[in-house]
Amino acid sequence: MSGLIALAIFVVAFYFIATEKANKVAVVLIGAGAMAVLGLIPGSDVFYSEHEGIDWNVIFLLLGMMIIVGVIKQTGIFDFLAIWAAKKAKGEPYRLMVMFMVITAIASPFLDNVTTIMLVAPVTVVVCDRLGISARPYLIAEVLAANIGGAATLIGDPPNIIIGSRAGLTFNDFLVHMAPVVTIIFVLFVLFTRLLFRKSFEYRADRVAEVMMLDERRAITDTRLLVRCLVVLAGVVAGFALHAVLHVAPSIVALVGAGVMVLVARVEIEDVLREVEWHTLVFFMGLFVMVAGLSHTGVIETAGRWVSDAFVGEYFLAATALLFGSSALGAFFDNIPYTATMAPVVEGVVAHAPDPQTGQALWWAFALGADFSGNGTAVAASPNVVALGIAARTGHRISFWQFTRYGILVTLLSTVLAWIYVWLRYF
Amino acid sequence: MRARDIAVTLPTVTFHDPVAKALRVMALGRLPGLIVVDDRSRPVTVLPDTQVLRLVVPGAFQEGSALARTVDEPHADLFWRGLGHLTVMDCLPGHAAKPVTVPPDATLLEVAVLMARLRTPLVAVVDRTGALTGAITLERLLTSLALDAPGESDPLPGSPP
Repeated sequence: MSGLIALAIFVVAFYFIATEKANKVAVVLIGAGAMAVLGLIPGSDVFYSEHEGIDWNVIFLLLGMMIIVGVIKQTGIFDFLAIWAAKKAKGEPYRLMVMFMVITAIASPFLDNVTTIMLVAPVTVVVCDRLGISARPYLIAEVLAANIGGAATLIGDPPNIIIGSRAGLTFNDFLVHMAPVVTIIFVLFVLFTRLLFRKSFEYRADRVAEVMMLDERRAITDTRLLVRCLVVLAGVVAGFALHAVLHVAPSIVALVGAGVMVLVARVEIEDVLREVEWHTLVFFMGLFVMVAGLSHTGVIETAGRWVSDAFVGEYFLAATALLFGSSALGAFFDNIPYTATMAPVVEGVVAHAPDPQTGQALWWAFALGADFSGNGTAVAASPNVVALGIAARTGHRISFWQFTRYGILVTLLSTVLAWIYVWLRYF
Repeated sequence: MRARDIAVTLPTVTFHDPVAKALRVMALGRLPGLIVVDDRSRPVTVLPDTQVLRLVVPGAFQEGSALARTVDEPHADLFWRGLGHLTVMDCLPGHAAKPVTVPPDATLLEVAVLMARLRTPLVAVVDRTGALTGAITLERLLTSLALDAPGESDPLPGSPP
């Protein structure tokens, strides 16, 4: 009975989150509160159980990275790079798009995707306005590139952070298993965009001089600050790479990195904390409590048993179902709550795997599906929503379907390529 | 005195008005801000003067100052001209501040505290249904307080004779 109540609360909350009929932070807090008040999750577990309560590794990893990114944002490096790239492209549309996509895809594995889009999209709009062309195809391509690039590392996309923490996968595990396939998919995606956006490319030779008048060097006012930030960021990435050897959790690496960043950049702590997306952190906390409620009442275990029974001995089939299922479902719901909900279910299926390698293959299939689902629709991931917001505010409104018709194709392409990779590498 | 006693009627704009109209309303009326109302005349947000700039500065430049620095002087002087086709709704930040409102029976102290706390020189006065009945500007509030202030020789209320 308690399982049914927990499931009912969860389904109602998920409905409001997916349809955006109510503020999603308020929804998860009410849902989590209802589960706690009804005794569906013990209060002590909410705070002190790593896997059946709030996953503080995820929360503090996100917090640390938000602080680090908040400081890097102030350096102007992205404006410099994007304008420099636009000048190099000399207004040639495909070259311009490739330049922007490459900048986005290189940044997104190390910074969160929302921040990457918030840094790249405004300068894209300015360049396109100067060229007298629509920024829509460029903004859409950047979001698609960010969601693909973010899949490469543990810290690049929130679903990876959730999966890494739940499965005990390290930063290097993601580099070894995800980065190669993500790189291949990104290269093919870049080639595909030539075909995908061929009708949207405009070239205005008479407007190129307008872009050349932008002075990218003025974007960076404090070179020493930039150098310091890049050194600290490199140190943080090195810390992530060594965290398994040093036996330090990724969240600790991020928090120490954030502290060092604040110290060396000599920024006001109030300014930095203003850059933290507190509502995102609270959303994660509430979400974890709701998922823990499902776990405590046996719903997750039952779902895991069903899935295990359905694919008993058929682990390639299970990986296929996880990859395509996650890619489809994550596209229609936000892929973060989807991943948080499914991660314990996948954990249950992995527990029945005959060997650790097969179990890990399921995690990678799940991660690839969940990450690439972010491109599926205009609301599948936060960077999409942010980009559409910037587009609207700058007079380049992108409708749900304008985004989704490209997103579905790219999701399909990347998921099929990921499936071939999983098949060839693990089975 | 109560808010209703010093409230005045000020021109307002709606979400669907062009930004250019909003600026005209503010400039011609010498207003210290703008009250944005919905179709039923209920204030949706009250923008203090400096925040009206968020309507004027193109969205691309609002995330930080680094990008603005890259723009050359001739273009920088014309930054607001590209807004001709945009509406107030297009240009308002995603999390527009809640309307700064007081009921008609609010005291002047309440109005002053609200203005000081929220750093706004403009407050909307709304009735029980949330409809706009008037507005109080900082200038209006200060003038009312000054005119009503006792002379230096007058005793303060409650002070010994």
